[in-house]
Amino acid sequence: MTDAPDSATATPATIRKKALLFFSLFAVFFVFYLGTAIIQTPECRHIAAIPFLGMPLGLFLSLAIFPVSWILIAIFFVKGK
Amino acid sequence: MDLGNIFVLVFILFFVAVSIVITWLTTQSTKSTADFYVAGKGVPWIQTGIAMVGSYLSAASFLGCPGDVAIYGIDRIWLSIGFFGGYMAVLLLIAGPLRNVGSYTVADAIYRRFPDRRIKLLVMLTTLIISTFYLVPQMLGAGLLFQEIMGWDFLLVTVLLGVLMSIYVIFGGMKATLYNQVVQAIFLWAAMVFIAVFALFMFADGSFATMFAKAAEAVPPSIAGKNPAAVTAAAAATNASAAVQAVRAIMPEAASAMTIGVQTPNLLAQISTVIALLFGTAGLPHILIMFYTVRSAKAARKSVTLCIVALGIFYLCAIFLGFLMLPGVYPKLVAWMADPAYVGKARNLAVLVASENLGGKFLMALSAAGAVAAILSTAAGLMITAASTISHDLYKAFINKNATEKQEITIAKVTTLVMTAISVGLAVLLKNENVAWLVALAFGIAASAIFPVMLCNLWWRRFTRQGALAGMASGLVVSVFFIILLLTGTKTFLGLSTAGGPGVFGVTISFVVLAVVSFMTKDRGEKVDEFMALAHKEQND
Repeated sequence: MTDAPDSATATPATIRKKALLFFSLFAVFFVFYLGTAIIQTPECRHIAAIPFLGMPLGLFLSLAIFPVSWILIAIFFVKGK
Repeated sequence: MDLGNIFVLVFILFFVAVSIVITWLTTQSTKSTADFYVAGKGVPWIQTGIAMVGSYLSAASFLGCPGDVAIYGIDRIWLSIGFFGGYMAVLLLIAGPLRNVGSYTVADAIYRRFPDRRIKLLVMLTTLIISTFYLVPQMLGAGLLFQEIMGWDFLLVTVLLGVLMSIYVIFGGMKATLYNQVVQAIFLWAAMVFIAVFALFMFADGSFATMFAKAAEAVPPSIAGKNPAAVTAAAAATNASAAVQAVRAIMPEAASAMTIGVQTPNLLAQISTVIALLFGTAGLPHILIMFYTVRSAKAARKSVTLCIVALGIFYLCAIFLGFLMLPGVYPKLVAWMADPAYVGKARNLAVLVASENLGGKFLMALSAAGAVAAILSTAAGLMITAASTISHDLYKAFINKNATEKQEITIAKVTTLVMTAISVGLAVLLKNENVAWLVALAFGIAASAIFPVMLCNLWWRRFTRQGALAGMASGLVVSVFFIILLLTGTKTFLGLSTAGGPGVFGVTISFVVLAVVSFMTKDRGEKVDEFMALAHKEQND
């Protein structure tokens, strides 16, 4: 490893391509994350209380945020190359 | 001194010894400002990734997250999920480009595109507010923790912690801070995983289904504690499982710890809280400056990824430990919630009591030491961030433009001492106040004042200098206004609930203001194309 790394110049086209990928992945995460948070409010709790795989749907989706994030990160590194 | 106190003392002495050795080893290699502020910008991504875990996991995560779930039930898992989710914004939108354009402080990254000293001043002010709001609860938490479990003097504990942190920040700079954070992160992460796995086997026969079934049976201690008959029944039960059943028999219609929507105030509050946690992480100065310590943007992304995986495992364990404490220490939790003197402390003490039930004094000491590691690593990160911003963004930019590196480092060291004194002083002053919510407000301020501007600075070519100033100022003003509303006990403002803090309001207003002002003005930075090319260049680390 060196302190003066090799670098590849970013053109407007590559920046746009990168932005599209990164913001799309973040949008997927954001919608899933916020949607899960919203269904657990008093206003929507009847949806979150639906039993699913032995637990309330709200809990299942909340716990799913962790693996979903890891999958998105994997896509980020594969597609971002 | 009982056995538990001796174990705790041994763990603490271990941290002190490690800190002294690391500081001694790093002192010789900390000479320039780059060494002091960002460890020479050559730290391996693995080290920064682990250190980031330590810097981020405070006592609120180690004790508060599981404690909240145990006492209030399923709705409180959002604290853990929110803390975790924030890093996705950091990884996908901020880490790489920030590493490429920043040098020492958060302000540097914006100043590079818009060389305007007002920006430095505004970011410095925001950084100081966030650091103080974050730091004081850490010091206060440490003092109270040891006062409660060990009977140690509050002032003595906070002063000693402050002195220890100051020593390694002053003499070893970022390098010593990073090494210490690595040791502390590994310790506290392993402690949480070990305790959670142990609890799963001891309290739920190693089965997640049993764990959820037992939680579904329990009335949350926050509800049971308000019913005198339930409190008596829980206290009289022979064990925790019997106590759960006895309380349920008295309160058959009460919500269970798995009932969703009981503790969440309303839709707006929930959105505001999760927005603050999601975007606030990406605006926390003590996290952002850690990206400057690695060699490249790619290395910065790798370090965040490592951090996300480790945090995911940590917070999953914290959530499970919360549920597991119900069949583990239910009578104690109910008794605490019935006693006004313990209501505020219960969430922090729950993990310690559960650990003692699981593995005696040794495991309780391990938990207490994990909490100390969390406090030390977070507080040191905050301390060096505050020192950097004062010396680099205030002293060098405004007071002495021709300051030498030596003078700049001296100012940073003096700032560290002053910040230590201020945080210890405020902790003593606010000793009897419940100030844990200051951390949540710090997230709200970071989300409102720093994240929108940083995001647009790194990605939006049309963003202008005036937009940056207006966006940051409006985010800061809205956050501070909310703090005043919360301090004065105002529940609604213009018909909107304030319960979730400034998150959604500050972020929205900041984005709207910066967009409108940017469209009305033209100063996109003289070298915007160059800046964008630099921010998004790819490097091989």
